[in-house]
Amino acid sequence: MKKRQSFLFVGLLVCVALVFGMTSGAMAGKIRIGVAAPFTGNLASYGDNIKAGVNLKLKEINDAGGINGQKVQLVWGDDLCQPKDAGIVGAKFAADKSIVAVIGHLCSSATLAAMPIYVRAGLPALSPTSTNPTIGDVGKGWFFRNCYTDDFQGKYLASYVVPKLLGKKKVAIFYENNDYAIGLKDSFVAGAKSAGLTVTGAEAYMTGTTDFTPQLTKLLRDKPETIFLCGYHPEGALIAGQSRKLGFNGPLFGADGIDNEDYIKIGGKAADNTYCTVPFLAASAGPAGKDFAKQYKKAYGRDVDWMSANAYDCLGILAQVIGKVGTDRKKIRDGLAAMNWPQFGYKGVTGLTYFNEKGDCSKPAFVKKVENGKFVAAK
Amino acid sequence: MFLQQLVNGLTIGGIYAMIAVGYTMIYGVIQLINFAHGEIYMLGAFFAITFISFLGLPFYVAFLVAMACCAVCGVLLDIVAYRPLRQSPRLAALITAIGMSIFLQNLAMIIWGSRPKPFPHGALPAYFEKTAVTFGGVNLSWFHLFIFTITIIMMVGLNLIIKKTKWGKAMRAVAQNKTMAALTGINVNRVISYTFALAGALGGAAGIMVGAFYNAIFPTMGYVAGVKAFAAAVLGGIGSVPGAMLGGVILGVAEALGAGYLSSLYRDGISYAVMIIVIILIPAGLFGKVLKETKKSM
Repeated sequence: MKKRQSFLFVGLLVCVALVFGMTSGAMAGKIRIGVAAPFTGNLASYGDNIKAGVNLKLKEINDAGGINGQKVQLVWGDDLCQPKDAGIVGAKFAADKSIVAVIGHLCSSATLAAMPIYVRAGLPALSPTSTNPTIGDVGKGWFFRNCYTDDFQGKYLASYVVPKLLGKKKVAIFYENNDYAIGLKDSFVAGAKSAGLTVTGAEAYMTGTTDFTPQLTKLLRDKPETIFLCGYHPEGALIAGQSRKLGFNGPLFGADGIDNEDYIKIGGKAADNTYCTVPFLAASAGPAGKDFAKQYKKAYGRDVDWMSANAYDCLGILAQVIGKVGTDRKKIRDGLAAMNWPQFGYKGVTGLTYFNEKGDCSKPAFVKKVENGKFVAAK
Repeated sequence: MFLQQLVNGLTIGGIYAMIAVGYTMIYGVIQLINFAHGEIYMLGAFFAITFISFLGLPFYVAFLVAMACCAVCGVLLDIVAYRPLRQSPRLAALITAIGMSIFLQNLAMIIWGSRPKPFPHGALPAYFEKTAVTFGGVNLSWFHLFIFTITIIMMVGLNLIIKKTKWGKAMRAVAQNKTMAALTGINVNRVISYTFALAGALGGAAGIMVGAFYNAIFPTMGYVAGVKAFAAAVLGGIGSVPGAMLGGVILGVAEALGAGYLSSLYRDGISYAVMIIVIILIPAGLFGKVLKETKKSM
C-alpha cells in the first residue's frame, strides 16, 4: 500500500514537472502578449471578434518569422466584461513576468478596473475598444487605445447622426448602468444642447435585464422621434424588439456597442432601421482596410466588424514597438508614448494611429445601419 | 401610461407567480428552498428552442414537450441531489440546492453556449403579434392574452389538483407530517417526486413564455428570475400556494410601476423593498400561517 502511495506521489511530481517544463519551454523563445476580453458570458461575441482579429495578425507575424526572430504567443484572459473578473485577469497578467504587454480590456468598466493593477505592475495596456473618456487619467501613462473616446462619439451622434442623417429632433435615451454607457450618455446630452436637440427622457437599465417594457412605456409617453440605444448589443436588440411591440416605428440609433452580427440575430426584423457609429467601416476604409476586409471574410466567412479591425491593428502596433525597443515592459510603454505625432504613428487597416499624453488617439467615426437584416454603410 | 404599466407588470408578475409556486410547493413538502428551481425555468426555455429548431416541432407541441422534460428534470433533481440528504441537516440540502443551481447553469453553458439566443424566428404563431384588445390606449396582443390565459389555467388547475385530487390530499398530508403520512400508507417519496414534477412543469412553462415573449434565452436567465420568484414566495408566505401567486403578481406590478413612476435604476430595488416592508409588517408573509405547531398550509 505504501509503495503504491509513493508511486502516486512520484507520478504526481513527474506530472507537475512536465507541466512546468512545458510552460517554461514555451516561454523560452516566445514573446507573450496578454489579450483580455469577454470570451464567455453575454458579450462572448465581442471576444470572438477580438480573437478573430488578433489571430489574423498573429499568423501574419509568425509566418514572417516573428519579431526579430522571436515568435509571438498570445495569452487569453476572459474578463466577462465584469470589473471583478477584469481584476482577476489583470492580476494574473501583471504577476506573469513573461507577459510583456496587454491588448485590452474590451469593456470600459473592465479596463477601468484593471488599469490600476497594470499601473502598479508597470505593464502597458493597449485597448482596441474601451471608449470611456476617463480611462486615460486612471491609466497614468500606461494606457493607450486605438479607438476614439465617447467624448467624441457622443458629440458626433448629437451633432451629426441625429439631426443631419436621421433628421430628427426629439430623442429618448435608454442607457445601461455601466461606465461605457453613462460616459456616452453624458457626452451625448452635452452635445445635444448645442445641436438644438430635445432629450425627451433618459431611463436606465441593468445589464442582463430581459424585460424593458416598463422603462420603454415611460419613454414612449413623451413621443420621441428616435431612441438612443446607449449600451451593448444583447440588450439593445431586446429593446429594439420590445419598442416595436409597444408601437414605436421610428429609427433607433446607438454607438459602437451595437455593431455586432448578434444584434441582428437576436433583434430580427425589429433591428432594421438602426444606425450606429463605428471607428472602422470596410466600405469607407482605405485600400489596406479593404484588403483586410477581404482577407477576414475569407478566413472567417463573415463580414469584418470594427472590433476585429482594431484588435488586428493593436497587435500590429505592439509588434512594431517591440521590434524597435525589445521586450522590456517599461521600454514598450515608452515606445508607445513616443508615437505622439502623426509622423511617428502606425499606419494600419483602421487608418493612422498616434497617441496624445493620455494615450487617446483621434480617429474619425463612420455610420452603419441595419437594412433588411444586414449591416450596410449609412449614406 | 398607468394601464400600460399595469399590463407590463401583470405579464411579468404572472410569470413570477408560476415560478414562485414551485418554490412554495417544494418548501411545503420537504422544507427546502430549492434554489435550483430557477435553472429548471431556464432549461424549459432551452428545451423549447431546441425542440423547435432541431426537431421542427410546432410551438404548442414544443411547449408541452418542454414542460414534460422540465417535470422529469425536477424529479431527477430530487432523486439525484436531495433524496440522499433527506435525513441530513437542512443546511446540507440547502447548500446542495445552490450547488445544483451552479452546476445546471454551467451545464447549459456547455451544451448551448453562453450567448443569448433569440426564440427561433417564425416559430411563434403569426397572430401572436397582432392586437387582440384595445382599451384605454393600451394594445393587448394575443401573446399577452396567451400568457394571461396559461397563467390562470395553470394556477386554477394547480389549486384543483391540490384541493380535489387524491394526490393533492397526499401532498397536503406529507406537508403536514411526513411520518404520519407514511404511517397511513402514503408513499412519501413518490408524493415528493410528484411535487417536483408539478413544480418543474410550471417553472418550465414560465421559462418558455419568458423566452418567447422577451426573446432572449441564456444560461444565467434563471438566476434573477429565481431570486425574484423566491422573494415573491416569501412575500406571500412560503409554503402557501395562493400566497405565492399573489406575491408574484404584486412583485411584478411593483416593479413595473416603480420603474414607471419612480426611478428605473432602482427598479429591482423597489420590488425587493416592497418584499422587505411586507415581511417586517407581517413576518409570516401575506398568506403564511404563524407556526405554532408543526402545522403548515399547502
